[in-house]
Amino acid sequence: MDPSYSAVTVLGTVILGLLVSLWLPGIERKFVHARIQQRIGPPVSSPGLMAALKFFYKKTVRPSSPLPRLYNSLPIVGFISALLILLFLIPPMYTLGALASLVAIVGFLKIEEVIYVFMGSLSRSVMSMGMPFPDLARGAKHPDLQRYFLEDLSSMRAFRLIAFGSFPIYIALFVPAVMSGSIFLKDIVAYQAVHGPVLFTLAGVVGAVVFFIGYMILLNEYPFAILKTKADVIEGPYMEYAARYRAFVYITRGFLMFTLGCLFSVLFLGVPPNILSWGILVNIAVAAVFPILMAIFSAFAPVFTFKQFYPVTAAASVLGVLALVTAFV
Amino acid sequence: MDGKEEIIETEIAMGPVHSAAIEPYRVRLFVEDEIVRDAEITVGVNHRGIERIMEGLPVEKANSLTEKVCGICSGVHLWNSVLVAEKGLGVEIPERASYIRIIIGELERLHSHLLYLAHGNEVLGHETFSMRLFYIRETVMELLRLIGGNRVQYGVPIIGGIRPRADLDEMKVQRIREGIDLIEEKVEAFAERFTSDPMIMSRITGVCPISRKDALRLHVTGPTLRATGVDLDIRREMPCYDPFEFEVITQDEGDVRANLLMRVLEIFESVKIIRQALRDLPGGKVVDRSWEMQDTGIIKSYVEAPRGRLYHSYAIEDGRVRGSVIRTPSMSNIGAMQYACIGHHITDAQLGIVQCDPCFTCTDRAIEIVDLSDNPRR
Repeated sequence: MDPSYSAVTVLGTVILGLLVSLWLPGIERKFVHARIQQRIGPPVSSPGLMAALKFFYKKTVRPSSPLPRLYNSLPIVGFISALLILLFLIPPMYTLGALASLVAIVGFLKIEEVIYVFMGSLSRSVMSMGMPFPDLARGAKHPDLQRYFLEDLSSMRAFRLIAFGSFPIYIALFVPAVMSGSIFLKDIVAYQAVHGPVLFTLAGVVGAVVFFIGYMILLNEYPFAILKTKADVIEGPYMEYAARYRAFVYITRGFLMFTLGCLFSVLFLGVPPNILSWGILVNIAVAAVFPILMAIFSAFAPVFTFKQFYPVTAAASVLGVLALVTAFV
Repeated sequence: MDGKEEIIETEIAMGPVHSAAIEPYRVRLFVEDEIVRDAEITVGVNHRGIERIMEGLPVEKANSLTEKVCGICSGVHLWNSVLVAEKGLGVEIPERASYIRIIIGELERLHSHLLYLAHGNEVLGHETFSMRLFYIRETVMELLRLIGGNRVQYGVPIIGGIRPRADLDEMKVQRIREGIDLIEEKVEAFAERFTSDPMIMSRITGVCPISRKDALRLHVTGPTLRATGVDLDIRREMPCYDPFEFEVITQDEGDVRANLLMRVLEIFESVKIIRQALRDLPGGKVVDRSWEMQDTGIIKSYVEAPRGRLYHSYAIEDGRVRGSVIRTPSMSNIGAMQYACIGHHITDAQLGIVQCDPCFTCTDRAIEIVDLSDNPRR
């Protein structure tokens, strides 16, 4: 393939993806959440685009962290891992072999998951420590205890999410691999070009449902928002981000929505993101439909505690295994 | 705690400022693997010294100050404070004024309960219900503005009756009727949707229960007490409520579900009372100014505020207030809030506190300053 053609394809697709992703949180908030909640809602450009732009021009505040620079760099690491996933989904990158495979994608997704552990353990926000009450005062029930920060709690929850919460999406990723007999994206796309989209098979349908549940868990959306639920940890790992670093948090979330939508298009529809092909419209449509569905579910659900989270994740994982077995058959 | 000593190693401190708390208060949760083993709630962040400011003020001025105790149940504070003076001075108020006070009181109960339900759903993570409930509450707030001229501090009761500006003409009566019809319809729709949602029921059933025995031991009051099966409501002992028929709602479980349902069902009872008051609203004047100021001893008065038993007392000396004491229902309920969290997940702990409908801004009535160097207290 002509290198300049490849460069245009890759660069153009990434830029388009970035532009689209800036609108996805707005669509989710304005057209779904706000409508269901019978309120006007924010301008559609506000949550993804204008909020991020505004934060770029705010004064950066030094976070209360033992390693503030590392803490601040983590949203950028998250963005890069999402960017790498999108990069290797674009057809000209399939020549890179192992990097354009499911194993590499799982690796990049894991980076995205692991950064919350670091974020949580590197943050020491005033919300959990800077109290005006001395706990040694008369009547204090348990003085001199080791005190957890709210972010520590979110860090431990991130561990649990890595341990069991992300099972569904990883199982779902391998349904197309089982059907096509290869973990390489090139082969999965080629298989679907011949046999039709994986989504239109029984295993594909079940896998897609599991993928969607995993998508919501990975994006920490209600009811799976244990990492940043307002009822206890408030924002958890994100609490201390300010200015441009917070802007990256917003951008990364939108970009991850787009990337995971493209990942679904590649694995279940056989349509890779490519700005020079009409198939990009399918990618954009999937990337828009997923947040809309997610917003509908989250608008009608209370936040889960582990009591609800474990069974739902376990059921989704079992469903995923069933999809894998069906794919083998 | 089952009577056995547990070694607690970890504390999670929430507040005084926390997004799940609408007011500043301090919660210390002592946890093991995200399960709360003990809890401690500290208040005092919002102390404004209102009783101290009331000391020596002319009675009517001091009464109007009590309205600032709370931004949710401001009307009932003023009502009770005025009742103290009326009891002490032996003032009989016109029947029409009594009815209008009750309409205001029940509208306030409606908006307090709707706020409770909205906040409960917010803590539950159910943003949609929270928004919709706040939307329903707007109707009540507008009705209160219609009657009193303000949405939060309507300043209706005065010694001898109510302010003449809050008298109800035909137009106001009609608009209140329409308003409560709308509220009833919307709350019914909410209740049906809420109770039939298995995910919500799974999140609130059996969560943070308080038994009847513990509720009595911890001196719980108001709807939180009635949610444990205790049939106690001060409104039944208030003579002004005699002309009205209403049920005292009780639930048995004492958990979050029972508490939420309590408020929903109480909303319908308040609507019932308002309808009766509007239907039978007597004619005549709304204020009796024929009373005379005189010195009294300490006079006490209790009313059923939206959150439970509200106590006001003071003495009158040369037309001025002496020794004012206010005790709000949340003060009684703090013990239950601490107790309810124990044994439950951290995420449910705030729900356990919220189920007791805390109003810490009105609770902050006293402050103690401790010098840690030599420990003197004042």
